[in-house]
Amino acid sequence: MIRLGRTSVWPGIVLTAGVFVVCLLMSLAFGPASLPLARIWHLVTAGPVAGDLDSAIFWQIRLPRALLACLVGAELAVAGVIMQDLFLNPLTDPYVTGVSSGAALGATLGIVLHVAQFPWMTVLALAGGFATLGIVWMAARRRGRVNIFILLLAGVTVSYLASAVVTFLMIKAGDDMHAIVYWLMGSFSGRGWTEVELALLAVPLMLIPLFRTREMDILLQGEKRALELGVEVERTKRLLLVTAGVLTAIAVSVSGIIGFVGLVVPHIVRLLVGPGHRGLLPVSLLFGAAMLNVADLMSRTLLMPNEIPVGVVTTFVGAPLFVYLLRRGKA
Amino acid sequence: MPAVVVGPGVASGASPVVSVRQVGFGYDGRPVLKRVSFDVGAGDFVGVVGPNGSGKSTLIDLIDGILQPQQGEVLIAGRATREYRRRDLAREVALVPQSFALDFDLSVREVVEMGAYCRARSGEVRGDAEWTLARLGIAELIERRFTELSGGERQLVVLAQALMQRAGLLLLDEPASALDVSHQLRLFDLLRDLNADGLTVICILHDLNLALHYFSKLLVLSDGELAAFGPPEEVLTPETVEAVYGVRAYMHRHAGRTYLTYSPRLRGERKGRIHVVCGGGTGAGLMRELVDAGWEVSAGVLNALDTDEEAGRELGLRMVVEAPFSPVGDETHTENVALMRTADLVILTDVPVSLGNARNVEAVCTAAREGVRVWAAEGVLAADLAGATGALVESGVELHADTAAMLAALTARDGSQRPA
Repeated sequence: MIRLGRTSVWPGIVLTAGVFVVCLLMSLAFGPASLPLARIWHLVTAGPVAGDLDSAIFWQIRLPRALLACLVGAELAVAGVIMQDLFLNPLTDPYVTGVSSGAALGATLGIVLHVAQFPWMTVLALAGGFATLGIVWMAARRRGRVNIFILLLAGVTVSYLASAVVTFLMIKAGDDMHAIVYWLMGSFSGRGWTEVELALLAVPLMLIPLFRTREMDILLQGEKRALELGVEVERTKRLLLVTAGVLTAIAVSVSGIIGFVGLVVPHIVRLLVGPGHRGLLPVSLLFGAAMLNVADLMSRTLLMPNEIPVGVVTTFVGAPLFVYLLRRGKA
Repeated sequence: MPAVVVGPGVASGASPVVSVRQVGFGYDGRPVLKRVSFDVGAGDFVGVVGPNGSGKSTLIDLIDGILQPQQGEVLIAGRATREYRRRDLAREVALVPQSFALDFDLSVREVVEMGAYCRARSGEVRGDAEWTLARLGIAELIERRFTELSGGERQLVVLAQALMQRAGLLLLDEPASALDVSHQLRLFDLLRDLNADGLTVICILHDLNLALHYFSKLLVLSDGELAAFGPPEEVLTPETVEAVYGVRAYMHRHAGRTYLTYSPRLRGERKGRIHVVCGGGTGAGLMRELVDAGWEVSAGVLNALDTDEEAGRELGLRMVVEAPFSPVGDETHTENVALMRTADLVILTDVPVSLGNARNVEAVCTAAREGVRVWAAEGVLAADLAGATGALVESGVELHADTAAMLAALTARDGSQRPA
């Protein structure tokens, strides 16, 4: 199949950026109350105006929600690229290290303990994610080296353990069970600027791998070959794994567990721009943001006034697209 | 085995590129290298040979600092490998690995440019990949995808990647093991050219004949120890090959080059002695087969420079030899009969019998009459111009169709004896 930009990565980045902007505008414009583009422009330039319904919808509901979808999509996509390429395994996604299950356990505790007000639930989710990352990290450390396969196994194990506890809590939770299930499925419903601010913390982290693209390219040949070519493998791995873990924890803590984005976006982008990280990372970041924006738009408009959890939408849209691209890629 | 270090390891004056000093290394307490010491000077072209498991790849990884010695130290340009940062070491030492897995769909250019990681920022190496691939004669591959290349092309691309490091020392871990003959020779020719341009090369390989022909020095590892290090023809003697690999080795000279051939068995595992009476090339193959099958073989009487005499000499056989183009004399005849008497079996091939060698047939009959087991190829009766073979059957010689049938009979007997 024909690739976008084989020698230069810029055509791919510019094109995806364009797609991203279109998706963002669509997600801002459509909803129970449609806002034409001219109106959006007016609302943006005027700033929040008290007493104006459109302004309230735009500034308090739609913009934060769209921005959050962008941020979470970008975070999951970047974490997905890091995970797949460090594990050299196409089936890994940001959730394999157990960070998401740890975060889910934290959030579930918050719901059960009735501290389900922001910021406490998010803080608990974040704490659960970080704690899992720490446990898995320590399990995989041997003589100053992080064994990537033990990390994977420990991640899966801890993930099952956390899920078991979540299930147990759900049984005990009674009326709160609905809230837990809804959180686990992942959604941007009811999220506001506070979540956006938290997710914004991850932006500098998303830039870290962009400065390590050559090392990540070389690591595609395996850790030993990377050492031979002069890469400080352990240091690079540590930096990237922690980055991916923190990105995932932040994304999950503000939005719940949204599946498929971190798995499928890197694959789709690899088919479009190739596995070189100078193109793969920025395009995945933009593509993840765009994809989750469209998914969120669909989740809140397809069955208006009801919402479909956004994780269901990402899977429904992403899976067929992915299979189509895989088949085309092989031909 | 004591190390045989032939000649100085270091070019005079220059400090060694690599200095391996009393290096020991093991995995989980199982020693892989024991007190290995040697120097490699700038511009050396060193082949590393040794049986599987002798520690060759471990040695290469130690020189590249991937592994750190548990005893001793490895110095690169006078500095211990443990004192280097990876990036600095990659500027001194480049390695072509034994296997190279890359499942991702990268272009040859991308793969080759990765090699420049240690010495430059991206973008500063523009044109270097083209130059390096052209140097290896594969400039046309640059826009191809790496995963689409053949095994031989891949190996050259990985070599190009390593050359992009612009290191003064190139290590190769069995670069030719997956290549066909033409790609092997192309690779070693390239390595020789690169060496002529000043690159120091240390290369593991299994083919001892390639090692003999291409390298200026050979390093022989045996069971984790340095068995020999020096010029190939001094180091790779049949004795060393036998001691290190446990096979019997023979040296042949052909068109000005030395070649090694091998038989699977060690000396000293003899089943018994077979005396072969042959000549004119009728016995060369048989003698070789018998030696490979583990028999001690003697032959006679043969004329010097006869095909069978030359074959016997290469095999290191005990032979009774007469002057070229001369009939069998009294002295050699007596010696021949004596060898037959103590043999477990005497074999007469279908050698043409003339007046010159009729006494060999006579000797065979004598031995048979004295009770020595004697087999003869039927063809010898037809090729008799001297009328000497008439007495064979009445002397008690057993006739077989040809040498192949005799070998088969021996193998069968051998097999039936083994369980006992």
